[in-house]
Order: sequence, then C-alpha cells, then structure tokens
Amino acid sequence: MDSATHMLRTGRRGALFEFNMAFQDLRNSGRRLGLAWSLALHDVMSRYRGSILGPFWITLSMGFMVLGIAFLYANLFAVSVKDFLPMVALGIVFFGVITGVIVEGCETFVAAAGMLSQTSLPMFTFVWRTVFRNLINLGHHLVIVVAVLLVFGTWRHSHPLEALGGLILLVVNAAWISMLVAITAARFRDIPQVVTSVMQFAAFVTPVFWPADRLTGPRRIVLDVNPFYHMLEAVRSPLLGKPTDPGTYAVLTAMALVGWAVTFGLFSVTRRRIVHYL
Amino acid sequence: MTADTDTRSTLRAQTPGPSTSKEPVRISVRDLTLRFPVYGVDAKSLKKRLAAITVGGRLGSHAGVTEVTALSNVNLELRAGDRLGLVGHNGSGKTTLLRALSGAYEPDEGQVEVEGRIASLLNLSLGIDPSATGYDNIRLRGRVAGLTAREIEERLEGIAEFSGLGPFLAMPVKTYSAGMQARLAFGAATAVDADVLLMDEWIAVGDADFQQLAHKRLLKLVERAGILVIASHDHDLLRLYCNKVMRLEGGIATEVVDIRDMDALLAA
Repeated sequence: MDSATHMLRTGRRGALFEFNMAFQDLRNSGRRLGLAWSLALHDVMSRYRGSILGPFWITLSMGFMVLGIAFLYANLFAVSVKDFLPMVALGIVFFGVITGVIVEGCETFVAAAGMLSQTSLPMFTFVWRTVFRNLINLGHHLVIVVAVLLVFGTWRHSHPLEALGGLILLVVNAAWISMLVAITAARFRDIPQVVTSVMQFAAFVTPVFWPADRLTGPRRIVLDVNPFYHMLEAVRSPLLGKPTDPGTYAVLTAMALVGWAVTFGLFSVTRRRIVHYL
Repeated sequence: MTADTDTRSTLRAQTPGPSTSKEPVRISVRDLTLRFPVYGVDAKSLKKRLAAITVGGRLGSHAGVTEVTALSNVNLELRAGDRLGLVGHNGSGKTTLLRALSGAYEPDEGQVEVEGRIASLLNLSLGIDPSATGYDNIRLRGRVAGLTAREIEERLEGIAEFSGLGPFLAMPVKTYSAGMQARLAFGAATAVDADVLLMDEWIAVGDADFQQLAHKRLLKLVERAGILVIASHDHDLLRLYCNKVMRLEGGIATEVVDIRDMDALLAA
C-alpha cells in the first residue's frame, strides 16, 4: 500500500519553497503512476461501454478516413497511392495523439474538480491520466500503422527504435503543452475554444494530409517554425524509412526543456490556486 | 472502547506538541487561515481580462480578486484516540476545515500537519461513475483512496456483501435507486484502512436496516482509525461518535472541549 503517511501543508514560504512543493507533487505522482493508469483505463473503457468494437471504433473510422483521403489526395497531387497512403496513415494516427493530448488537456483539472477538492492526490496524476488515455488509444490505432507498413512493404525500411525515440519526444512535448493548457483552461474558460481552433488550424498547416516536400526553398519556413511538424516527423520519418533531420531532434529537445521549465514554473506559482479555479 | 479513558485523561495536556515527538497518528493545525479567491464570472473570461488591460487601470480595480476568509487562525491539536465533532452554522467553515485537513486546500497562512493515512469521506459520490457497474465503481473508488489493485480484489467480496446489492453490482450504477447508490458508495468508501478519518455529514443514508449496518461499520472504522473528525448538525450523532467538540463560527474556532461540555459550548 502506497501510504502517504505524513502530510504538511503551509502558507507561502517564498519561491523556492513553492518550487519544492511542486516538485514534491511531481514525485508523488510518480509513485502513483498506477493510479493514473487505472483512471485512464477507466476513461477509455467507460467511453466505449456497451459498444462491441470499443475503442476500435475510432480506429475503424480513422482507417476509412485514411483510405478516402489517401486515394483522393494521391489523385489531386498526382502521386502514387503507394507513396502517399503510408504517409497520410501515419500522419493521421500520430497527429491524432498530439491533438488528443493537447485538446483533452483542457479538461484535465476541470474534470477532476471533485477529487482535487477533497483529497491530497497529486495534480500531476491527472496530467498523466490524460497522457495515458491517449497512449491507450494510440495502442488501438497501431493496428492501422502495422497494417499499412505491412501492406505497402514499408516495414523493410523502417527504423522502429528511432521511431520509438521520436514518440517519446512527441509525448514529452505534448505533455507539457497539455499541462499548460490544463492550468490556463481551469482559470480561463475561453481556453478550450482557443485550443480547439489552434489545433484545427495546425492540422492543416502541418503536413498531415499533404507531402512536406511540396514546400521547397524559403517556403519551408512554414514547416521549420511549426512545432507540430517536428513532433510528427520525429515519429513518421523513421517509420517510413526516411532520414530524420537532426534539426528536428534539436528543436524537440530544446522545446521540451524550455516548455517544461515554463510549465513547471507556472505550476509552482498557481499550484495552490488551481483547486479554487475549478 | 478502551481508548476512551486514555483520551480523556490526556485531554487537558494539550500543549502545542513539538514536531520532534514521534506520535504515530497526529493532526496539528497552527494558525490556519484560508481564503477563497472568488473568481467571478467576469474574471473567468480571457477576453474581459484582455479588455481590462487595453482600457488601462480603471477597470483593473474590478478585476481585483475578491476573497472570502473561510477560516481564520484556527488551532487544533489531535492525537490518536481523539474523535472530534465540528459544530457550527452553515458556512461556518466546517467543510473547509475538513478539506484543509484532507490536503486538498493549501493554507494561506499557518500550517496543517497530519501524520497517518487520511481517508476523507466528504462526498459519497467521489469517484463514482454512474455509467460504470457497481464492481467497477468499487475498484475505481478504492484506487482513488490509495489501495492497490490486489488489495481491492481482496476486499471486493466484503464490500459486495456489506452493500447487499447482490446481482445489482454487475449493473451500471445509474440503474440504482438513491438508497442503493448510497449503500454502494458507503461500502466502498469505508473499506479503507485509515488512521485519520474525515467525514462530512452524510451518515443518514439508506433505509433503517442499512442505517443499522452503516452505524456498526462506522463504529468499527472509528475504532480502527486513530483520529476521527466529523462535521455535523446532529448533536446526538456527535455525542455518539465523538469525545471532543469544537465550534466554528464565521471561520473562527473555539477551543476544543470535552463532548460533555457541548451544551455549554453551543450556548456560548
């Protein structure tokens, strides 16, 4: 039994103290990762309770979307389906993870209001809950990834380990954005709308549905400044057997460091208040 | 209850214990002040926030967050065997104090220190998902309360038996009547081993049979728990469960007195 047998709560004692308390929250959540996992699993199961296919429903609809878009766009762009479909399929699946973690981040604390206002559960637990929930969904969608890689023979060129590293970078970055959104959405109820719009826009400016190499020369700046492009490419390129730009790893690492520093800083400052926002 | 006599004899010795004492179970609240910022509908919109900035300081004074002082300078020392009843009018800060003791609310001033496993049974519906089955809800509730998956499986039978819901446990909770939901929630919530038990008034649930059962279970739990803090308007109930009492009025607490002096405390 993981028993938090000592609890000390005090008034503000300066920035360093607040930072330590925030860090303690993070550490406690680490000890209770199993709880975050159980909650995430419960979320997924309850969302699809009573349906036969369960979470595979999104997998199915995603599969149809992949097929439809791949054949249509391959025609529009006059490229072969063989090249185009794997790209779109992986794009939709992994961009889905980014969108899911960030958009559902808006609900992280708001949905946990009941628990946060009467228990001493770490706040980070609920951030991990959102992340885990989306990873469980990804687990279902991997069916699409594997099917596409097999059918088109792309697997022969794939670098799965590199892709796994990329996925970790993707999740680490999506997680801080998710938490940042969770805190701000608890305070300002406009944030969910803003986040949804931004992510919709991002789905179009990020090469999810269109090949990145259509943009050449100075126009590539659209890609370089797009954090979601780097997050997506870190996973997609290795799976498609394309070389990943080392710049992408640099951008993602820098983004993770700065992003977590900012988010953690904000959390240290607002930690006491979040429960009152709800 | 043998702990009873021990407690009464130590009752007078209420020194603000030095933190070095290795008391196994202990609650220590010192100069606790808790203020609620009230984020009005106005402040919650980012647009209004931004609008306030663009027009300069004038509107800014409205955006200043209003605060309600829910508790001011509350002091409380409890040891193993103490069963404290909180009395006071609605809005006097009873629930807020319980939430502060549960660790959910951070003090604005002063400190709250608790040694021991805390079980906060403030809201029966905590972690209850109406569309999940009874069994799933017991598991969920148990996980939130800090039990491992295995511990829950060990207790599942006991909880199921206590709830008396039988085959209904495999049905979604939304098909339950209010009394059945209370049975489930009460059974699940009280299945934890706790050193410190925090309860808000909600014992009067279910039919007469169940009240009997609930009462027995609660007594057992109180025996197991080192410290009980319960807020209630039912003075007879407090006399039944508690050996000490504290009155809250407008966030200001009285001294902790023996339960036998409750009438004097209430008259004051």
